[in-house]
Amino acid sequence: MKKLLLIPILAATANVAGASIPINGFIESKCVIQSDTPGMFGNPTVDKLSTKSADGGVMPIIRYDIVTASKYKAVITTPTDFSSSPNLSDSVEWTSTTVAGQMSDSEMSVFNTDKAIYNNGHTTEFDLVKAGSVWFNVTSEAEYGYGKAFPSGNYTALIVAECIAK
Amino acid sequence: MRLLVLLLLLTGGYANAHQFTPTYPKLEISHMPGIMKADMVLFNDRAEINYYGINVFDEKWNPVRFATQNKIVPINYKERKYITIYLSGTGIKNAKYICSKSKILMTVTKPSIVSSRICSKLK
Repeated sequence: MKKLLLIPILAATANVAGASIPINGFIESKCVIQSDTPGMFGNPTVDKLSTKSADGGVMPIIRYDIVTASKYKAVITTPTDFSSSPNLSDSVEWTSTTVAGQMSDSEMSVFNTDKAIYNNGHTTEFDLVKAGSVWFNVTSEAEYGYGKAFPSGNYTALIVAECIAK
Repeated sequence: MRLLVLLLLLTGGYANAHQFTPTYPKLEISHMPGIMKADMVLFNDRAEINYYGINVFDEKWNPVRFATQNKIVPINYKERKYITIYLSGTGIKNAKYICSKSKILMTVTKPSIVSSRICSKLK
């Protein structure tokens, strides 16, 4: 009888023991790339596609989360070609800008002052010397021929966002 | 604000994120003689991406020969995959960067799309 009485007591003890399950966490140095806003081309004039809001486009925004400062550099390359488009018989001239916009720490403004631009202005490199989150705003414009009208159809262009360990 | 960012990182509050860790992998001895390995973790939180390409480069970004189970890794949304990179011969000496790059299918036709690449550095 005493043994039978012990069973619920033991069961209750087991439940109490089961409630204390540890949750382990580990923070390691890493860079996370997030495609925040995919972007969209506006078509303000017949010969132009642009992601600028003034041109009816949507600016692509890429978010970088940096856990540890000075471990990575961000490299963002804007399009110099369409990855898919209707047949184009003339050349397309591309212009672009990449800037650090919203940032979790005001000291991240150093990303913009110290950025390096190369590859005819299509690649921008930022030294991620501060930890936190930063949103990079990318504008991209494509102009077709000499005032020539883009053929109708779907146009897709690719932005390459990289995080390179230093 | 920093606390908020940290909380977001800990809770995985990303909508379209790509992670590739560790930042500085170390080459270790594998079960095969003369072959070294590095263990990497790929996490896909990009709903529109189902494949990542794996590549190894030297200091000057020349490709380095390596072996792994899949050089194009099929991965589902919110899935974590453990990837082992095997290097041999000059690859052990020359390899500097291990990179994962999102592969975008032709069926993804958003007007502007982002390809993400994260490179870890062998030290």
